[in-house]
Amino acid sequence: MTSIEKNAVTGNIIEARSLSLSFGSTPALRGASLAVRRGEIVAVMGPSGSGKSTLLHCLAGILVPGEGEVWFGGQRLDSLSDDRRSALRRMRFGSVFQSGQLVPELTAEENVALPLLLSGTRRGPAMAAARRWFPVLGLDGLERRRSGELSGGQAQRVALARGLVAEPEVLFADEPTGALDSVSGELVMDLLTAAVRERGTTVVLVTHDARVAAYADREVVVRDGKVGTLTGSQP
Amino acid sequence: MISLGLRLVVNGGREAVTRLVILTVAVGLGVGLLLTAVAATNAAVTWNNRHAWFWTGTSSVVPHTAAAGTAPLWWHPVGDFFDGRQIERFDVAAAGPSSPVPPGLPRDPAPGTYYASPALAALIHGTPASQLADRYPGHLAGTIGDAGLPSPDSLVIVVGRTPAQLAQTPNTVQVRSVNDVMPGTFVPPCYGPHCGRVPSPEGLAYFPNDAGGASSSIDLILAVVALAILTPVLIFIGTATRLSAARREERFAAMRLAGATRGQVSLVAAIESTVAAVLGTAIGFGLFFLLRIPVAGIPFIGQPFFPSELTLSLPDILLVAIGVPLFAALAARMALRRVNISPLGVTRRARPKPPGAWRVIPLLAGLAELGFWTIHGHPASIPGQIQAFASSFFIILVGLFIAGPWVTMAAAVAMARWTSRPATLLAARRIGDDPRAAFRAVSGLVLALFITTAAVVAITTQDAKETTPFGTVAQSNLMTDQIAAPSPSGSRVTAPGPGAPAAALAARLDAIHGIHGVVVLRADPTLTIPGTFHDLGVNTFGDNPGGSVPPIPADVASCAQLATVPDLGHCPAGATAAAIPAGVFGPNGFFGSQGTSGFTWPAANVPAARLDALGVDTIGVETDGTTTAIEQARTVLETEPAYPVLNAPSTPEDNVVADVAANNGYQQLANVVILVSLPIAGCTLVAGIAAGLADRKRPFSMLRLAGARLSTLRSVVALEGAVPLLSVAAVAIGTGFAGAAMFAREAQQHPMVAPGIAYYLLTAGGIVISLAIIAATFPLLARITGPETARNE
Repeated sequence: MTSIEKNAVTGNIIEARSLSLSFGSTPALRGASLAVRRGEIVAVMGPSGSGKSTLLHCLAGILVPGEGEVWFGGQRLDSLSDDRRSALRRMRFGSVFQSGQLVPELTAEENVALPLLLSGTRRGPAMAAARRWFPVLGLDGLERRRSGELSGGQAQRVALARGLVAEPEVLFADEPTGALDSVSGELVMDLLTAAVRERGTTVVLVTHDARVAAYADREVVVRDGKVGTLTGSQP
Repeated sequence: MISLGLRLVVNGGREAVTRLVILTVAVGLGVGLLLTAVAATNAAVTWNNRHAWFWTGTSSVVPHTAAAGTAPLWWHPVGDFFDGRQIERFDVAAAGPSSPVPPGLPRDPAPGTYYASPALAALIHGTPASQLADRYPGHLAGTIGDAGLPSPDSLVIVVGRTPAQLAQTPNTVQVRSVNDVMPGTFVPPCYGPHCGRVPSPEGLAYFPNDAGGASSSIDLILAVVALAILTPVLIFIGTATRLSAARREERFAAMRLAGATRGQVSLVAAIESTVAAVLGTAIGFGLFFLLRIPVAGIPFIGQPFFPSELTLSLPDILLVAIGVPLFAALAARMALRRVNISPLGVTRRARPKPPGAWRVIPLLAGLAELGFWTIHGHPASIPGQIQAFASSFFIILVGLFIAGPWVTMAAAVAMARWTSRPATLLAARRIGDDPRAAFRAVSGLVLALFITTAAVVAITTQDAKETTPFGTVAQSNLMTDQIAAPSPSGSRVTAPGPGAPAAALAARLDAIHGIHGVVVLRADPTLTIPGTFHDLGVNTFGDNPGGSVPPIPADVASCAQLATVPDLGHCPAGATAAAIPAGVFGPNGFFGSQGTSGFTWPAANVPAARLDALGVDTIGVETDGTTTAIEQARTVLETEPAYPVLNAPSTPEDNVVADVAANNGYQQLANVVILVSLPIAGCTLVAGIAAGLADRKRPFSMLRLAGARLSTLRSVVALEGAVPLLSVAAVAIGTGFAGAAMFAREAQQHPMVAPGIAYYLLTAGGIVISLAIIAATFPLLARITGPETARNE
């Protein structure tokens, strides 16, 4: 059975196989493997410096591993050109980071619409699609605000809307609640999980917060560049 | 705090050192340009003042009171030409050892000797004597020193004569001092009792070829030019300093957390900027002195300077050495006013209120005032006209500065509202977020481009108005030698030359290779031509009250000679002599503006035998247009003892060169302003863009991670620079053209004439250089938004 056939049978949408990557002489990943099923929310946990963000960046096509393979939708991702990986991130992936991702000069709705504009969508439809997310994420009335005029929780929900506006197949979230208080963090996670469940979006979520990880269907742990489960078995 | 600030400058790590180096280089470049502009202004003043002695003995200047016992100096100035270049010639004869000596000469030249400028001496040495050297009796006694020359390129000669020779020469005066102050205003040469009031009525009605600029206008022009160059330079230094100060926010927040007050933090910011400014100022001085000699060779005003003229006075040096660091310190402190540095971090103060639409009112008012003068007519008096137009242009200029931020914001809002391109949206929002900052970076261009555009258009219009269109090539090759000084009424201020030598002179001229014909116009006081003849009377004198046209005084020309210059017209069949208008024969007279080849002049009832005895008013020589023929003919005419030179024999082209020389110098100045101000604006934009990238490093990095192409972010950077640059340039240039068009129509009484290709090439070239400078930030963009920024640090 070929890998494509295997993925089709198992329902894995994205898969890392024995990834190794070093930054200079410092190894970040040492043979890390992870398979994520379509529609699944996976929490990637681990101590600081364990390589969890690096794993997420390899899965998202941001970084190319030194060794190993990344597969997405039956297609090898790591061997694609930078332009094609960028195109994938524009059109089929979404991303939410801890902070600082909103463009300060743009309004909230323009920030949300930005991925669609970058993909060539006309302004009118892009803005209309962006506005639809505001009531969903409890952001009514904030469309014309700048990022500096939003609270941390509001800004992160705008970032979440931006990550989802293009209806991605996979959402990569790196410490999405890391800069928020617990109440705001819970709100963001509640809204995130509700939105992705409704759309069947797969989520790969990096966090060190067990309460955030609890929203996931499955938790894996990255230690010393390898992926395992909380019980120590292979994921 | 000062020592702490200094320690932070030196020990702040690689980033701090890099910032210091960049700011130092920016200030160094700016100061170098600043000093060059100041020195060039000083050099231009010196250059102009060195023309002062050319005006000696003229009616435009009041002579100094000489020391008792000073012997007079006979003084005979003549403007001359060689191969399209102007020569200032002064024939002098000292009456005694205490006679005044022109500057640059060790003594007055003895009869049979002359002093020439180095450039003219070289020309004399390298040119056949029949074309140049033969004009100057005697031999070269030495070269004129720098003190007597406006420029290394100046062609000046002081020829020694005897008092007896000059006493017999028309247009000669005795002086007891050499003029050393430029005239406040220039008085056109005027002959006869009808001439208006002049500063020195007993002086010569003489206007040097290379006249320099009237002191009343040259100071104003230089001040405006200096401002047009200095404004973008100062804005560049200020912007670089402000932005550098703002980048250290995080460090300042840490200091506040440790207990520093806002004032202490502000002081530390000022120290770093001041250190960079001091170092940069030193570098700027070094750059200036290093490049002084090559810079002096650049013809800012159409002529190069002497390197020794590019000087800085002590006040200049102190002003820059102290002023620039002070300015940098102030700029740094002002930069931190926009941020609130608290112990918990740095937040930007609320966005400033957007500029209001009221800002366009002054600009519209200035254009309306200029339009009013255009429609209703300007004041009758000269002072009234100056006041009207100067105030209009000043209000327009101030209006451009005031309206600039609003125009920038309006353009950005419109762009953001209608675009679907993300790069355009990002750039437009950035510009619209702080339109004052965006406009400030390019505001220096407003002054430079508006003034230079208006000036260049006015100059080209004036050139077109003053230069005489040639009817035919033959007319343009015609050299005229005016023996008798004319007045507009046709009468003669000096007597005609003797009649007899003209025939032999004409024969000598005919013998020169390249001479096609010679016409001698001889004086007959009783001869006139009806004023209605081809409307010449109207063209020369205008209508009299009642619509009658006065007759034109006429000279007599031999039909045999006239036949050798057919472009001047013909004799009637069977005539031996014809009547031709007197006193207006010449390239700037009616021959220049009307084609006369078809004219059949009225016959003159003067027998051929009597013709040669009549006095000579003017000699016309038709050449083949080559330098050899023209200059040989000119030399023969100038050295004819029977006809002392009143005004040097000249072709229409010689007079065009003389007419437009000053204007060309100002045009050159305008070109320099354009070439300097545009790249400086580009550098200022780059400083702003680089700071903006640092501000948005994280969101731009996230965008790249989210799949945005690097080319999209490059487009953002390019638009953030190009949009303010091009829109401000367009508005400033367009307003300059509009103002100049109205000025041309109303004040110059001539339709606006568009500038030549050089203006467009220079402006476009300057814009291209600016855009290229902006594009230099692209590598920075790629570096700071690379995938390595995705790693948490």
